[in-house]
Amino acid sequence: MIKGLWTRETVALFLLLALLPLAVTWITAERWDGIVRLLVTLVIVYAWQLAFMLLRAQPPSLAGVITALAIAMLAPAAPGPFAYVLGVSFGVVIGELVFGGWGRNILHPATVAIAFLGFGYPAAPWPELPITATWGALAALGIGVAFGLVSIRLMAGAAIALGLAALAGLPVADPFIAPAILVTFTLLTCDPVTSAATQLGRWAQGLLYGGLIALFLSLWTGAATVQLALSAALIANLTAPLLDELALLAWHARRRRRLG
Amino acid sequence: MARRTLRHIFFTPLIRENPVTLQILGICSALAVTTSLDTALTMSVALTTVLVLSAAIISLIRRHIPVSIRLIVQILIVASLVIVIDQVLQAYFFDISQRLSVFVSLITTNCLVLGRAESFARHNPVLPSVVDAAGNGLGYSLILVVIGTLRELFGKGTLMGVPVLRTVEDGGWFTPLSLMLLAPSAFFLLGLLVWAIRATLSEQAEPLAHTPPDRREAAE
Repeated sequence: MIKGLWTRETVALFLLLALLPLAVTWITAERWDGIVRLLVTLVIVYAWQLAFMLLRAQPPSLAGVITALAIAMLAPAAPGPFAYVLGVSFGVVIGELVFGGWGRNILHPATVAIAFLGFGYPAAPWPELPITATWGALAALGIGVAFGLVSIRLMAGAAIALGLAALAGLPVADPFIAPAILVTFTLLTCDPVTSAATQLGRWAQGLLYGGLIALFLSLWTGAATVQLALSAALIANLTAPLLDELALLAWHARRRRRLG
Repeated sequence: MARRTLRHIFFTPLIRENPVTLQILGICSALAVTTSLDTALTMSVALTTVLVLSAAIISLIRRHIPVSIRLIVQILIVASLVIVIDQVLQAYFFDISQRLSVFVSLITTNCLVLGRAESFARHNPVLPSVVDAAGNGLGYSLILVVIGTLRELFGKGTLMGVPVLRTVEDGGWFTPLSLMLLAPSAFFLLGLLVWAIRATLSEQAEPLAHTPPDRREAAE
């Protein structure tokens, strides 16, 4: 690629295009309900981006659309508009904008927002994802890999862990569970900014996500599937820097052993 | 250093040099007891009392404390005061003292108390020491009360146990944000408070840990 073409906004744009199949399958299943939720979320996200642009000269990013899509699809139904606005604002500001905008954040803002709503209102019902979203997520992952936005190692790690879980008899491929696992993985864990950045770290993060899903599926009774997938995504997201650090340590150790 | 006036000594630790938000001292108790306003207030009063009394005593005998064992002497004085406060609370406010559990006893090891004794009361006469201790105690109390108010108001819809926002269970509109009663919310609130203060008083902002590379932003 020509140097300079791959700016932050190009990446955000391609990521958004890659996620379109997922967005379309979800909107065709949810209809107006989903469109309204998406629009409301978009308004909140871009209001904050505008505020940070005016106050701290941080350029707004197209990635806000991805954040809004993820929150609209996966957030539990908050009791009342105030709660929803609070949760989305918290995720967008604390998860992303205080660090200097998209590209500098440590956690995915949507993960933060959904976790905030989930922990803040434990009684709120979690959404049920349409089964077609599975295919949308697979298409999105395919396009993401083709454009180098999603790490194939991350996917392979998760696939291995989930495959082993399926062999062990866990209902990973169940039509009511698979969409939540795959959509959460696509939207939150595969985010190029906040997933692991080293090759070994990516393998480890994928394995960790799949492993956590398997653990929660077998031990956590009474959890909604999206809740379970989100918890796995949150922990995998939080450990990404640690996994990178370990991968770098291993690299240094190997290098020292070889070169003395 | 020019001699600072008593007014200056009293008012700077309230916000400008607040022990909690600037020096991040004493946040263990600040986070633990702020789930409701009454515990936060009790803790504030207990800490301020201990701080003022210990500063007075240490300042009184400052010329007689051998330097080599000064920490032991200081801790001994603080611990004795804490025990008295703890007994008073258990005698007259048994309910709240149960809810504060170990945190009153832990005032002994609160960095804030020892920090003021070590850095101020040890070098200054009684009156400035007491004023400094009161200022720091009130600065700590200010943060505790702010965070306690927010957490109780949004976590339960009450203040001092009196319903303020009518919750959905009582037929009102407010849904309690139960995250506010968990420890992370205190970190979030304290972080936001520190952010707000440092955005206003920009001289408090810490220098950058890394200098960004000298090139154009990717987003341009």
